[in-house]
Amino acid sequence: MLVHLNFKSGVPVYLQIVAQVKDSAASGALRPGDPLPSVRALAEELRVNRNTIAKAYAELETQGVLELRQGSGCFLKANGTSPLRRAVRSERLATELDSVIVQAHHLQIGDDELRALLEERLTDFRERQRQRAEN
Amino acid sequence: MSTPAIEIHDLVHRYGRAEALHGLSLTVEPGQCYGFFGRNGSGKTTTIKCLLNLLRPASGSVRVFGMDPRRSEAEVKARLAYVPDFVAFYPWMSIREALDYQASFRERWNRGAEESLLKQFQLDPTAPTSGLSKGQRTQLALIGAIAAEPEMLVLDEPTSGLDPLVRREFIQTIIGAYQDAAPGKRTVFVSTHLITEFEGLIDRFTVLDQGRAVLTADADEARSKFRRLRARFEGDAPTENEFKAAKSFKRDGRSVELIVNGNGDELLAKLRGLKPLEVTTESLTLEEIFMASVR
Repeated sequence: MLVHLNFKSGVPVYLQIVAQVKDSAASGALRPGDPLPSVRALAEELRVNRNTIAKAYAELETQGVLELRQGSGCFLKANGTSPLRRAVRSERLATELDSVIVQAHHLQIGDDELRALLEERLTDFRERQRQRAEN
Repeated sequence: MSTPAIEIHDLVHRYGRAEALHGLSLTVEPGQCYGFFGRNGSGKTTTIKCLLNLLRPASGSVRVFGMDPRRSEAEVKARLAYVPDFVAFYPWMSIREALDYQASFRERWNRGAEESLLKQFQLDPTAPTSGLSKGQRTQLALIGAIAAEPEMLVLDEPTSGLDPLVRREFIQTIIGAYQDAAPGKRTVFVSTHLITEFEGLIDRFTVLDQGRAVLTADADEARSKFRRLRARFEGDAPTENEFKAAKSFKRDGRSVELIVNGNGDELLAKLRGLKPLEVTTESLTLEEIFMASVR
């Protein structure tokens, strides 16, 4: 798993880790049942405090992405096992989309262009997912 | 809430007539890696000495693990390990003897940790301590501090004598090895002016300037508040008068650079309202935040 941290992004470090693990899981770079590096190993690799990694893993566990097995470490859960209700899940996504829409407004990207861009990114994402599945 | 590892309230200390600390307050929760940042002479070492009862403050209170170090000096010292910025060993001792000597004062001693760190730092146990460089002395003192498995490590400028290339990795190894054995319980209190090496390690920090705490924040919170905004305009850039709310303002013909603290969104919107050709924003690193906070 490749995690890259950017201290200049202003995004809390643990949330950067959360986002990247979720990205790896969604794209298929990590598969259900795959083990994640230990807290200490990842802390050393990324040169961050172990508290930060522990916080990221705890957040991923609450979101239903990871499962903590006593004594043997952290593993990726199968998709579709989110503990949140569907309504809550769509509401969360709506909030994210709202911020994208605001960004688009400031970057003077029109509605059609935004829709096209979303379509393009989706295709790209599915393509990456397909390639992973083949390997 | 558990008892704070360190609680300092309104601490004042004077050297003769010169005041070194003017009403410093800070709290370190157990399990945190806490940075204590300041220039040389800002009062960092004076504060640490008050924690260890090496100095008696003029006024204010200091508690370590909830205890007053003046009354419970032995118990406080038994539960922490202090690595000063300049370490001295008895020059007739070998590395092995110096470690055994330290171990004789401690209730616990982790031989495994001691051995693996000696190997990692390539220190020969039979070598005399008199031949060690400043950096090697610090390494040896840190090995002793970690092998004793204390509840808290108090480090004063631990990287200042080290080769810049090994600094980061070294401090990462030390703090990782120390905290990993009892996650969430082991506290690190580190004073330094070399902040870059600690960028990812610090949970929370205080910036000390001329004996006063000028900023205390969680590292993530500080990085999201302190930002650098840059904008480029087609014509003349706006002047400082329009951006008095910025922490600093630099203007160069058609472009401006602002450092903001907390009011970034507001100032960003204002910049965008002036229709610039381009706007970029990035967070400051802890070192840049430190430099922006001290005069």
